[in-house]
Amino acid sequence: MKHARGEIRLRTVALGAVFALLIAACGSGRSSSNTTNTTAGGGTTGTTSVINASQCDPATATQGITGDTIKIGTSLPLSGTYSAFNAILQGESAYFSYLNSLGGVSVAGKKYKIELVSKDDAYDAAKTSTNVDTLINSDKVFALFNTVGTKNNLGIRETVNADCVPDLLIASGAVQWGNPKYPFMLGSELVPYPLEMQTFVNYLKANKPSAKIALLYANDDFGQSYRESLQDLVKGTPITIVKEASYNAEGADVKAQVTDLAASGADTFVLGGTLLACPNALNAAHDAGWKPLTYMSGTCVSKLLFQLGGDGANGVLSVTPLLDPSDPANGSNPAMVLYKQQVAKYQPKADTGDGIVAYGWSTAAVLQQILEASPKLDRTSVMEAARTLAGVKAAGLQVPNSTWVTSASDWFLGETFQLIKYNKAEGHTTAIGPLTDLNGETAKLSPASLLHS
Amino acid sequence: MSLFLTQVMNGIGSGAVYASLALALVLVYRTTGILNFAQGEMALYSTYLVWYFAERGVPVWLAILLSMTISFIGGALIERILIRPVENSSPLVLVIVTIGLFLAINSIAQVQFGNDIKLLPRAYADKTWLPGNVQISSDTLVLVGVLIAECAVLYLVLNRTKIGLAFRAVASNFESSRLVGVPVGRMLMLGWAMAAAIGALAGSLVIAPVGLQGASMQEILVYAFAAAALGGFDSPLGAVVGGLIVGVVGTLTTQYFHAVHDIELVVPFGLILVVLLVKPSGLFGTTRVERV
Amino acid sequence: MTFERAQFIRAAVAVVLVIVAAYVFGWYIPQFYESSTTYLWAEAFYIGVAAMGLNLLTGYNGQVSIGHGAFFGFGMYTTAILMESHGWPFVATLPVAAAVSFAVGVLVGFPALRVKGLYLALVTLGLAVLFPQLTARFVPRDLCPTCGTSQVGELARSKLRPPGWVPHFISANDQWAYYVSLAAVVIGLIVVVLMVRSRFGRALIAVRDHEAAAETVGINIARVKVLAFAISALYAGIAGSCFVLVKRLATASSVSVFQLSIEFLVAVVVGGTATVVGPLIGAVVVVFSGRWISESFPSTILFLHIDDSVKNLLSPAIFGIGLILLMYVLPDGIVGGGRRLTMSAWRKLRGRTSPPALKGIDA
Repeated sequence: MKHARGEIRLRTVALGAVFALLIAACGSGRSSSNTTNTTAGGGTTGTTSVINASQCDPATATQGITGDTIKIGTSLPLSGTYSAFNAILQGESAYFSYLNSLGGVSVAGKKYKIELVSKDDAYDAAKTSTNVDTLINSDKVFALFNTVGTKNNLGIRETVNADCVPDLLIASGAVQWGNPKYPFMLGSELVPYPLEMQTFVNYLKANKPSAKIALLYANDDFGQSYRESLQDLVKGTPITIVKEASYNAEGADVKAQVTDLAASGADTFVLGGTLLACPNALNAAHDAGWKPLTYMSGTCVSKLLFQLGGDGANGVLSVTPLLDPSDPANGSNPAMVLYKQQVAKYQPKADTGDGIVAYGWSTAAVLQQILEASPKLDRTSVMEAARTLAGVKAAGLQVPNSTWVTSASDWFLGETFQLIKYNKAEGHTTAIGPLTDLNGETAKLSPASLLHS
Repeated sequence: MSLFLTQVMNGIGSGAVYASLALALVLVYRTTGILNFAQGEMALYSTYLVWYFAERGVPVWLAILLSMTISFIGGALIERILIRPVENSSPLVLVIVTIGLFLAINSIAQVQFGNDIKLLPRAYADKTWLPGNVQISSDTLVLVGVLIAECAVLYLVLNRTKIGLAFRAVASNFESSRLVGVPVGRMLMLGWAMAAAIGALAGSLVIAPVGLQGASMQEILVYAFAAAALGGFDSPLGAVVGGLIVGVVGTLTTQYFHAVHDIELVVPFGLILVVLLVKPSGLFGTTRVERV
Repeated sequence: MTFERAQFIRAAVAVVLVIVAAYVFGWYIPQFYESSTTYLWAEAFYIGVAAMGLNLLTGYNGQVSIGHGAFFGFGMYTTAILMESHGWPFVATLPVAAAVSFAVGVLVGFPALRVKGLYLALVTLGLAVLFPQLTARFVPRDLCPTCGTSQVGELARSKLRPPGWVPHFISANDQWAYYVSLAAVVIGLIVVVLMVRSRFGRALIAVRDHEAAAETVGINIARVKVLAFAISALYAGIAGSCFVLVKRLATASSVSVFQLSIEFLVAVVVGGTATVVGPLIGAVVVVFSGRWISESFPSTILFLHIDDSVKNLLSPAIFGIGLILLMYVLPDGIVGGGRRLTMSAWRKLRGRTSPPALKGIDA
């Protein structure tokens, strides 16, 4: 009926025009030439510079720097199953507020305040991609900082490298950030996952040479990192992996898997999971009456997660690059005092005893050192500086007497750290043995398939 | 053998939770004919309430009872104020309304109480018994016990009281009940109220051991839907049986079917599909007879 | 005014508005706005395509599905794997993605014959929840040697470039993604219009309204219902392929697949079930609501400063409350409700000139 058809067309088009006009009212014009569809090269070219920036668009080199403010962006889970990572945002926001109150960070002789723009991605890589697009093109940030998630960062690495945007201090210990094809990425001080496995395997060689390991791992890239490194490292040793079980990384449901592992006769338990999967696994092991020597991913080192683990958490081993804020013995350490004071001041809702807040705080401190080390304030120089850090010391709650280094042949930061054991009665972790210094070893210890994937 | 039985017990433990939430879903469905997407989030909000009271020193069991009472009233109010205006609309509209409710409650709870992981105190001691090497945890026993108690109370209320009679009348034939003078509005509110209270109890008990956060109830809700579908959406008995089946099949699959490693969900959902193909209204649902 | 006069004015206005819309959507937006806006519109378009498909199944044929995120995912992964691991150009992957989703739609459509209403909705929910697990299991080992676990991408920029045969005004990757999605919308819309007005469309509606009666007039119920499923799955699959160009990766988690399924359904209902353009309007609302909400959020309410994290958390609540209110006011969606309101306004305007008896016969 012509009558109805006219109505339909009228309505569609009218609504469409209204929307278009609404959108036209806001939004900006298109940047002039947008054929910068090339990828920045990387790799050690043998010259002094680590990064081949010849294909970077010089017009965007100082984007995000306005007057005396550096705008940086981050995307992390603030809602959903992984929302507990919002503690990272609390820690880093507190640090930047504190830094700004002192006048800001000093780069090439001038002082700049840091403005952090954060976006929620609920740990979904598609949302991270959209957020990063918005951060780079709409919010026009200078660099990305502490973006969370292995697969999330894998989902943006083409973009950040093609646009030459530094993706600094990625909150993931995956080794893919050392891939020379993608130079504009740097992992944070989180201990790289293969180094975690190496440390534990060394511990086993010294204390339990014929260990029989049961492995629980998340079925995503994060969990696979642990699995592949561990398999690689136990080759040719009397240590064996007797059983493996994976769990769905989107949930934290591990009871059935752990019951299965418990029945395998293993005497050692490696937990390649994160957040709530850790305490759930520890509880399940305890319920099954299984008391193995347990190693837990460094990403689970958090007072709250230990508490949730109940009796099963007692004696669990892990590693950390930072001081434990819930250990009263650290209470008089000046860095700890500063941390607790400033977080209480700027983020009163944060739990200063939480290792995840401490991680956010310390990573922000590392960023400060990177910026201070950069001779000029532009994207390539900052990335260059991040890739050639002579020595990061005392960044936030960095374990004392450790130095973090990157160089043209060593693309990983968190290679000096401390093996720790959780003590339930005391409610905090204690250090086991001296500092582990595996500086420069990550590339050698990582399975090649991961490093170049 | 003991491993098998242990996994069965584990499955019954998780199944009891699915069954409780499925029971809530069925109550709502029987009275108002709606699939309530927001049931899980209502339970979540109630659990946040328990945390809130416990933080302020209220003993846990009392906090749970308080939360159940508030949820009871809240459920009734939600039905009266938010659902009643659209009760006669098409099912799709109702689905969208409950989805809107889901989003709203989930986010309001997190804004009001904070979205970090919260430690919920346990209402009972955490113990595991090992008779004949079969692990039976106190969690499982309490959840199953509570489920049985819920069923018993529901049975008594629905079958032995006047209100229960009126409720069943409304659930079975809305129009006729109205004609004979049953206060149908109040019965609808009662359905939602009971569902909310049951959800509150289920949530508080299941979340305590694992930490409370915004996404805690979402996976459980999906399994509860599966359980209700398996058992038949208009059958409370079906909800309970369905929940237990889903729970047990889930754990046994993880244990024994390594071929479906990483895709464990395939088995419970495959099971439901098979059951629905054979009995399209679920195991215990009433078959709808359509007048042509 | 006379009826003919009104018709003429209406037709003229329609033509003008079509030209304006063609200019705005076909030229202005992709040429003037920077990439994040272009990508956002492209997202609205592909959600619209999936919603149109779902509308065929749910609106016109009455089968409720909350699992179309899975079909979307099949299209998404097919395109992404072929592009990433086997170097196919995007356009070549479209027929394969379409075929795969169509096939899966048929596979789901058959058991769906037995299962009705609420139970069908839940079975489709099961499919949506199951899909991410399938990707975790099958993507890395068997189908995509260069992929990570279950995620494909980010695809290299070179793979996302507009191919040589497109006109020169489509020069950037985001413009290519935009025009592809726009083309999908236009073609999808035309096909929907043709389908709805054909015998098949009438069969769809007949089966929805009264299955037994439809059977008695010779409609093959099984064929209609399965075909409806398959076609809606195909739409969702094509939309999934467009996703790959826009987001440059393929990823599926239970949350994201479920969210997509709900987004499609919300777009259909908010726009207007069983209307041709309703799903498109609904898709624009769904996709842009996030931006509208965060932009119009006041920074302070009653002296309380609202920081970013609270804003982030509250916007789903506002969206949810908005949905509820919309359903009170316009239960037949924007297009349906809009039509209803305009009709009654028009009727009131003409009220004096038409005899009361004719009032009830409006089309």
